[in-house]
Amino acid sequence: MALAQREVEENDSVPAAVAAAAGPRKATWRDHETYRALLVQPWTYVTGAVILALLNIALVAATGKGWGVTTSLAYWGAWIWGALGGDPHRWAYFAEVKPAFNAPGFGLLSDPGSLTNLGIVAGALLAVLLAGQFRIKRLKSRRQVSAAVLGGLAMGLGARIAFGCNIGDLFTGLPSMSLHGWVFLVSIFLGAAAGSRLLVKYFI
Amino acid sequence: MTTAIEPRSNVRRPLRPPVTRKERASQLPWALGLFALIVAAGVYIVRAGGSPKLGFIWVVGVALGLALQRSRFCFTAAMRDPVLTGSTSLTKAVVAGLAVGTVGFSAIQLGAYFKAGQLADAAKLAALEPVGLHTVVGGALFGAGAVIAGGCASGTLMRMGEGFLQQWLVLPFFVLGSALGAVTWPVWKAALRVAPSGGVWLPAALGGFLPALLVQFGLLLAVWLLADWWGRRHAS
Repeated sequence: MALAQREVEENDSVPAAVAAAAGPRKATWRDHETYRALLVQPWTYVTGAVILALLNIALVAATGKGWGVTTSLAYWGAWIWGALGGDPHRWAYFAEVKPAFNAPGFGLLSDPGSLTNLGIVAGALLAVLLAGQFRIKRLKSRRQVSAAVLGGLAMGLGARIAFGCNIGDLFTGLPSMSLHGWVFLVSIFLGAAAGSRLLVKYFI
Repeated sequence: MTTAIEPRSNVRRPLRPPVTRKERASQLPWALGLFALIVAAGVYIVRAGGSPKLGFIWVVGVALGLALQRSRFCFTAAMRDPVLTGSTSLTKAVVAGLAVGTVGFSAIQLGAYFKAGQLADAAKLAALEPVGLHTVVGGALFGAGAVIAGGCASGTLMRMGEGFLQQWLVLPFFVLGSALGAVTWPVWKAALRVAPSGGVWLPAALGGFLPALLVQFGLLLAVWLLADWWGRRHAS
């Protein structure tokens, strides 16, 4: 499914032939070579990887802490639990592993991970709008629903047990020369290989 | 989409030229509106939190989203495609990112080390977490989940921004799974014998920055060569 999505997205760079079929059209600023290269055509994977790494370095240099995603998702779950009347501050996990959660005044807008998470959604939306490629992609089957539910639960649980995800453990932990990053790299490969089998068998 | 029930007729609609995405109306006004919102949110975050640092973090987050979307970056595909399609171009890009990250992070750590003369001061800047069997169990569970859900942590957020409703459904269950993981901490802490903090930092374990960096870059090169070999072998 993600494979198919990628193919569809990369096919939208066929202006010349179709534009000709649709009749002559005035060239606009959107056809400008530089605009297309930067904001419409996809960048190379290596360009993306290097820019992501530089942004992560900027985070550590300025704030002392690198990029992470999933710890904040646990905070979000805890805050929702609190809004429903529960008391997540009594969870042993936060007292023992993430004491920052119990600090007075700690909330969505003072948690670096929450800010970058929301920023990523906003930044990705901005990028597709600038490219003129935004559209809602609906769920196509019941299997996609169960894949979303099971995959989401497995990622959430797995990330807590491993103390991080592909970002906190792999993209931040490994370059900071922590051994857990390397062990996570091997483990996520094993899990992805097993997941690929399951995906082909049950979810496509 | 619901379609109104129309009386069946044999009259075909006149053929129209295919509408491509390129021909659709510009989405630039929406982009400019969103940009204004992003700036306003930044101002609000700085004011509410009383710290320009939080505004900086917000800007970096937006930039991360832009970079992820523009490069179609996907950690899940980097892990999955070698098995599913044999392609390793994303895998090699991840390794390149890890190498660039190592250059920057180790420079920051070295700065602290040169200043204080103690490895412990540099270790504070490392993203250390406990390592053990739980890393394997959690990492494998996460990897399988990411492939099934069609996006990892960063990929889920990026695809939400791109308009994939599947990822809007993944997120609440991702949050629920994370909360469940936190609630059940006493269970898996005991079962997998996990220490709540600590970790192994290569410069401390290997006796200095030089051996640690040699091992780090040596391993990264080995992974890159392995991915390159795998990709060539499966190229059809």
